[in-house]
Amino acid sequence: MNQTSDGKPVVEMRNIEKHFGAVQALRGVDLVLEQNEVLGLVGDNAAGKSTLMKVLSGAYIPDGGEIFIEGEKVSFANPMDARRIGIEMVYQDYALANNLDVAGNVFMGREAVRLKLGPLGVMDYPYMEQETRQLLDRLKIDISSVRLKVERLSGGQRQSIAIARATAFDAKVIIMDEPTAALSVAAIDKVLELVQELKAQGASIIIISHRLEDIYRVSDRMIVLRQGRKVSDTAVEGDIHEFRERVVAYMIGARDDFATEEVASIAQGES
Amino acid sequence: MSFIDETRKLLRENIRDYGMFIALFVIILFFTIATNGLFISPRNIVNLVNQTGYIAVLAIGMTLVIVIRQIDLSVGFLAGFLGAVAATALASWGWPVYLVIPFILVLGILAGRLTSFMVADLGIPAFVATLAGWLGYRGALQLVTRSTGTIIISDKAFNAIGNDFIPEVLQINLFPGLHKFTLILGLASILFFLWSEISNRRRLQDQGTEVLSPGLFILKLVALSAFIGGITWILAGYRGLSWTAVVILVVVIIYHFITTKTVLGRHIYAVGGNPEAAELSGISVKRITHVVFGSMGMLSALAGILFAARLQSATTTAGTLFELDAIAASFVGGVSAAGGVGTIIGSLIGALVMSSLTNGMNLMGIDISYQYVVRAVVLAGAVIFDVTTRRTMD
Repeated sequence: MNQTSDGKPVVEMRNIEKHFGAVQALRGVDLVLEQNEVLGLVGDNAAGKSTLMKVLSGAYIPDGGEIFIEGEKVSFANPMDARRIGIEMVYQDYALANNLDVAGNVFMGREAVRLKLGPLGVMDYPYMEQETRQLLDRLKIDISSVRLKVERLSGGQRQSIAIARATAFDAKVIIMDEPTAALSVAAIDKVLELVQELKAQGASIIIISHRLEDIYRVSDRMIVLRQGRKVSDTAVEGDIHEFRERVVAYMIGARDDFATEEVASIAQGES
Repeated sequence: MSFIDETRKLLRENIRDYGMFIALFVIILFFTIATNGLFISPRNIVNLVNQTGYIAVLAIGMTLVIVIRQIDLSVGFLAGFLGAVAATALASWGWPVYLVIPFILVLGILAGRLTSFMVADLGIPAFVATLAGWLGYRGALQLVTRSTGTIIISDKAFNAIGNDFIPEVLQINLFPGLHKFTLILGLASILFFLWSEISNRRRLQDQGTEVLSPGLFILKLVALSAFIGGITWILAGYRGLSWTAVVILVVVIIYHFITTKTVLGRHIYAVGGNPEAAELSGISVKRITHVVFGSMGMLSALAGILFAARLQSATTTAGTLFELDAIAASFVGGVSAAGGVGTIIGSLIGALVMSSLTNGMNLMGIDISYQYVVRAVVLAGAVIFDVTTRRTMD
């Protein structure tokens, strides 16, 4: 467990609320992510996990609650705001442009410029290709050339590129939305190894997944959401079968650690 | 790897890129033989280039429009209408040519921005928005030319764009009968081509990327240099480079540079490849849409100028069906309807293929009805080729 962080938590979300019309998607959720921690986020469909992460990554503006990044209160109007502060989201469908090469995708929207000609920036190809090569090597991602078009890569390789891209620019937090959902067993293994590698290199990560064995394998701590509320916030430990039974009990509502509705101040009490 | 093996591997891996060049070469060869060399005579090559001009310019703009998954049906009549405005400005308002051309180009940009306002800001499908433009500009063209019918343009400088040649600036007695300035330009472009290929190869080698073997690399350099040299020689033997050719070259160089080297170009392809991903990466899809349609409008204006200058007049039906020729040229040049794929050079070749077909079949005296059928087969064949080679690569 990595609760003995040297400073403030990287992310602290307090009492987050979000509704879509009459539907209350988030009913005052608290979430804390410590430095160099991997946090699993699970829940049934419509439990609110993707909504919570979209709030954190700036895609949704919450109706209530506060967000602190390294102790500083922040508010995001759009994903770019969140990104500038160092919150990177890896989307379920990779969010890559298949017609561009690996380096082009890693630097998409943040192209290195060699020369400015009025409004036109001339791209610095050698720099971007070198940086991408180093990034892939550092994360032990096996891709022969950074000039390969993404459409020629396998699903696992694409997911690796999407994750690598999120880490390329000094991210404080990397959020992964179902990183293994569309992958083969072998590819899932690769991606989970990549998550472990990132943690070893000091990253702070939140993973949404419906695959409990993935959460079990890579996460330090896990939060279960149910119907827009947090129902469990515990360390990932014990035997996988016992773990799975416990999580399912929370997911279907058989257990609830926060049933008293005093939701606001409990999140940090997990030592 | 032996020479033959490497060539075969190269062809197999790059068949999509080389396919168009091979097709163009075959077409040129076929018509040259079928017309006993008339097709490749200097006079006809100049004619062919000038005929290709306005379609090539439109096809380049259209390529970017299709790359970002849109379409523009209004470009033909927009070109016709703006050509008529140019003719009116020259003939009736007495404006000088150096004022008329920028004025028309700005009008074109504004027309493009009107389209992109509807597409990007109001969310109207480009097909519908530009179909409205097609109707509107057709009406506008008829309104402008209603009182006069065809507007005759007598401005020599303006008409030169469609008919005249660059001046001979070198008064030397070497190569009598040849256009020396054109020869110099051709030589300069060969040297530039060699320099950029060699320095690019060196950079790739430094990075440890695989490059062509020396034999094949030299063969490529020799073949393409000979091609540029041959065209230069043919043009220099007549009256040199036409102004239309200069306009095409300038447009091609600028757009090729923007699409391959700049951040703007990269963003255009990113939007075409995956608009949601581009937006999430901080690229404004709206802004790119405005830029691409703005450029399409400007190039429509340029095409209108080229066409009016070539006819030395603005007619009531100028621009009819240009949009379909431009779209066809783009697709023959390798643009994908799915978006994100297509190059400027490809569209230029596509335009050359389509106008070579028309030109060659005219020289052979083939019935216009059959001409349409042949062009249909080439268009369909190009896209079928594109789709099947894409599939085998996956």
